[in-house]
Order: sequence, then C-alpha cells, then structure tokens
Amino acid sequence: MALPFSRLHDAMSTDTYGHRLSVFSDRNFKYLMVAPGILILLLVGIFPLIYSLVVSFQNITMTDVDTSFQGLLNYKQLFRDARLWQALGHTALITAIALPLELVLGFLLAQLFLERMPGRQIFVALLVLPTVLSPIVAGATWRLMFDVRFGPIGQIVSYFAGEPVTLLWTVNPSLVYPAIIICEVWQWTPFMFLLLLAALSNVDQSQLEAAELDGASYWRVLRQIIMPAIKPVVAIAVLIRGLDLFRIFDIIWALTEGGPGSMTETISLYTYVIGFTQFDTSYTAAVAFLVVALLSVIVTLVLRRMELVK
Amino acid sequence: MADVRISGLHKYYGAMHALKGIDLTIADGEFAVFVGPSGCGKSTLLRTIAGLEDVDAGEIAIGGGVVNDMRPRDRNIAMVFQNYALYPYLTVFENIAFGLRARKFADSEISKRVGDAASMLGITALLDRFPRQLSGGQRQRVAIGRAIVRQAQLFLFDEPLSNLDAKLRDEMRSEIKRLHKNIATTMIYVTHDQVEAMTLADRIVLLRDGRIEQQGSPLDLFERPATGFVAGFLGSPTINLIPAVMDVRGNSVAVRLTSGEMLELPADKVQSAAGSNGKKVILGIRPQHLTRAGRAALPKGQIRVKAVADLIQPTGTRTYVTSRIGDVAVTAELGAHDVHEQGATLDYAVDMNRCVLIDPQTDKVL
Repeated sequence: MALPFSRLHDAMSTDTYGHRLSVFSDRNFKYLMVAPGILILLLVGIFPLIYSLVVSFQNITMTDVDTSFQGLLNYKQLFRDARLWQALGHTALITAIALPLELVLGFLLAQLFLERMPGRQIFVALLVLPTVLSPIVAGATWRLMFDVRFGPIGQIVSYFAGEPVTLLWTVNPSLVYPAIIICEVWQWTPFMFLLLLAALSNVDQSQLEAAELDGASYWRVLRQIIMPAIKPVVAIAVLIRGLDLFRIFDIIWALTEGGPGSMTETISLYTYVIGFTQFDTSYTAAVAFLVVALLSVIVTLVLRRMELVK
Repeated sequence: MADVRISGLHKYYGAMHALKGIDLTIADGEFAVFVGPSGCGKSTLLRTIAGLEDVDAGEIAIGGGVVNDMRPRDRNIAMVFQNYALYPYLTVFENIAFGLRARKFADSEISKRVGDAASMLGITALLDRFPRQLSGGQRQRVAIGRAIVRQAQLFLFDEPLSNLDAKLRDEMRSEIKRLHKNIATTMIYVTHDQVEAMTLADRIVLLRDGRIEQQGSPLDLFERPATGFVAGFLGSPTINLIPAVMDVRGNSVAVRLTSGEMLELPADKVQSAAGSNGKKVILGIRPQHLTRAGRAALPKGQIRVKAVADLIQPTGTRTYVTSRIGDVAVTAELGAHDVHEQGATLDYAVDMNRCVLIDPQTDKVL
C-alpha cells in the first residue's frame, strides 16, 4: 500500500534529502490522494441538500417557476402553518407510543427465545418475517385484516363479543391510531427482538450464575447486570427505530392515507402532499429542511447522551 | 459450615454421560480438590453441587439436607468463577456487597462486612474502582471477597487461578490456603493443576472420564496410587513408566526390563508372586527415587543402574536428567550439581522400595 505511493512521491520530490516540491510535501500528499473520493461524495451527498436549500429560498410552485431569491418567505410560512405542527405532533405521538412498545415486546420475546428449545430456529425465522416485508405491503395487509366486510380482525372481535361488531379501523377517529400502531409494532418488533436477542446472548453467563448464587432478584439482575451490558445495543436500536418512526410513511399511506381528514397525517405524509399533490415546491423544500434540522438536533443530543461520539 | 454427601450422581449432556455414578463425602471444614484432565467431569460435578446444573440421577446433600430441587440461591453457597464473573458496571465495593444487598442486609452491616473482607484481602484501597481498572490478581481478590462476605456454608472454586501468571498463581494459592485456615469453611476446589491439588487439599478427589479414580490425602495418592493413571497424573516431573516382565525364582522376585537389566524387588513390595512369573508389568518409578549412587554399598532395596545422561534440564534447585533405561526415556531428579555433562555415564541408585508395579491390562497397581 505504502510502497507505490512512496515511490511515486519520491519521483515527484526533487531530491531525497533536501527540500521537496511544497505541494507534494509529506503532509499534503495524503489529502491529495483522497481528494477525488471526497469530491464525488460531496457531489452525490451534499449537492441535493444544497440544491433543496437554495430552492427553499425561492418561490417555485406548480404555476410559477420564478427562481428569484425570496429570503425567509417560506420559513416564515412554517410558523403559521398549523397543519405542519399538527403533523409533527402526530409523528411524535406515534413515535412515543410505538417505540417503547416495540422495545418492551422485543425484549420480552428475546428473553423468551434466549433459552435453547426445540424448534427455536424456526420460530425465530417466522417471527422475523414481518420485518422482511416492504412496509407498504405490511400496511396493505393490515388494511385487509382490518377490513369491515371480510377482515378477520372484525370477525374475531365479533366472535368474542357474541354479536356482530362493526369497527371502522381506518376511518373511526378513535381507532385509526391503534390501527397504525398495531401494524407498526407488528412489523418492527421483530427488529428489536433480533438485536436484543443478540445482545442478551452476549451477556456473560457466569455473571448471571454468580448473581443467582448471590441470591439476587430478577429485577436486580436486570438493572445491575443485564441492562448495563445491553445498553449500547438498545441505544442504537432505539435510535434507528426512532428515526424510522419519525419518517413513517408507507404504513399510514396504505392504511389511512393520513385520514380521516388530516388526523393521521405525519410529517412525511404532509411533505409528500404539499410537494406532489399541491406542487408547492419551494415551501416543501423548507419543510424538508425543518425536518433535517430537527432530526440533526435530536440525533446529536441522543448520541451525546449515549456517549457514543467521544 | 456443612458437610457434602453425594451418592449415585449421574449427569448427561444429551448423549454424553458426563458423570457416571459419583459417590463422595466431604467432611465439614474439609478442603477438597477435584482434579483431573480436561473433560473428566470435575467442573460439572462442582456445578451440580452449586445447582447450576441439574442432576439426572442421584442425590446431593449439603449440611444434612438434600438440595437436589433447591435453587442455587437457596443452597447458601459462595462460588469463585474461573473468569471471576465480577459485575463490570459496579464498583469493587458494590461487587462485594452485591450478595448482601440482594439478601437485604442493613447498610451498616454491609459496610462492616465489606470493610472486613477488603482489609483481610488487602483491597481496601480499591473499593471505589471498577473491575476493568484492576489487574488479574486484584480481580481474583475481589471475587474471593464477594464469596467470603456472604459467610456461606460452602465455598466452591472453579479453576480460580488458571487465568493468572505463574508468580501470582503461587501467591494466590498460599492466600487461599490461609483463607481456609482462617475461616474454616468447607471448600471444594476444581483444578487441572496437580501442584495446586497437592498443595491445597486435605483430600484430593481424582476424576477420570466421569468417575472417581481415587480419593484420599495428597500424600496417600502420591505414594500409594491405586492405578497407573493416578501415578501418572500426580507428581512433577511425571512418574517414569518402564515396561518389564516379572521374574520369580524361589523367594526372590525381580522385574526384567526389555534391555535385560534385572531389578530385584524388596520382599515387602510383593505379597504373593506365585504364578506371576513371566507376567508383563509396568514398573513405575518417580524421578525423585532415582538418585546418584556413590561408591559405597547402597541401602537395602536400592539397585545400581548405569545409564547415559541424554538430556540435562537444570531448574536451579534440582536438575532433571533424562536417560534411556529399559529402552524408554527415564527422567531422574538429581541434585543441582550432580551432573554437568551431556553424554556422561551415571550410576543411578533406583529405590525399589518406592516403586509401583502396574498391570498394563487393567491399569491397576499390583
């Protein structure tokens, strides 16, 4: 690795012992070598971001392709847009309920499957199946499950109620959120389960045995031995799922399309609606930037809290 | 304080029969050492006593009560693990206090007991540290501290010194022995190291392939091994095993080596040699019982054998010399300055009073 470079470098330098060409000095040479890669990364990664930032300071709509600088016009609009803040609220609500649910259920399942048992591999594979599905398929599947006329959920509830029960899961305002959260939790709990299963199987067995001999209760073992050991994995899992939940789109699009009204409209749905049904292009760019800013702040705070970036 | 009685103990791992009928009694206050080669079942036996493994048949009683169906926590046992199993996210103090907190001791009692244990083990200065900040020997002390504060009725050690370097191992070995003297609790110690077994034990339980091969005091096993396996396992350097044939002529009984030497056996070594003429045996002689013969006549029972020193390994205190006797390599433990020159011909005095004769078919000592 070092050899061809140093040979090239030697060829470029004027002499081995004295001064070298300043551009190709030892210090700068390495930067020169990685520069093309960095440049491509910047073009691919940063350009769209910068482009949408530029667009957000213009006022492009479906009917108006004026690209003149409009200052903070769109950003001022953000603060007056009640539907935007409601969408953010809906997103936060779904995240706040689904994330802990997935974490707790995933942990319980992982505990259950930690012990060796017959058929363990098959069960784990079956359990992980929902996560393999595309979210839009998961949403469509649950839309069928919740269907009023022939969905199995309604029939099961009716059976236990002893009389026909009509539950309009995707329409009834008090049922839409449960429907979304059921679907979301169904699909993503296995993800938590897998990560936690891996983390739990790495907990030092002899520490657990020592704690058992010491007479520690399950809660004490959980708090003082298991939790600290799996904390890094839990933190990463929560971060990944938290970001995913904040950007939730497919499941809701398949189940309710943000309805009834805009009752289940999340920030991703709202961005889509203003961008691709109202074609309010510049304003959409501003909303997208708001989300980027919000997530950046949250991720930075969380990472710092987790002490992962040191 | 408790004795341990084990009867008819069997343990299977799937198709593997790990313990094949163990009967064992360890007296109150005794220091018992389970020793044997890897896979002999010594750790499994210890773990069944702790309750960390279920037994498939047989009975374990601690302090008179059968504990088969008792959870480990209810057996009042303290255990030191091979990797110490310290809780990495708790300080040394909290590690030692863990069992006391779990059993809801008062704070004042906890700090008193932890303080006592720490000063006994010389780790008072480390109480605020975390396990990752400690050296191997210090971790070992913390693990022992965690065991002693509980004042359990039985102490179990699962190869506690195998992760330490040689010097530290010697040091900790003495400390564990001293600890046993001080607290006089029944202790069971698992090791594959015969030096640890010899130096620590009141009673050695030598296991082989899931069975007890022999048990008894260290010197008993060393001097009167029941089988060739026991003779070969204990002692360092290992015992010399020389193929030979019995040669009985009237009252004199000797063994003939394949190289032709005749070594006469002392009368008290052979109770009845009748009918054993021509029988194949293995002559076991410990390196310590081959000495350098002087010019004077040898004491009764010792036999002069000439051999060439092929390999010389000085250790400082003693020198191990390997020669060919009876067509096999035989090691003798001589004085540090007994031999200097490789290839020199030596006069060995072989102490036949201390030899063992092993039946090659059954591995039993005759």
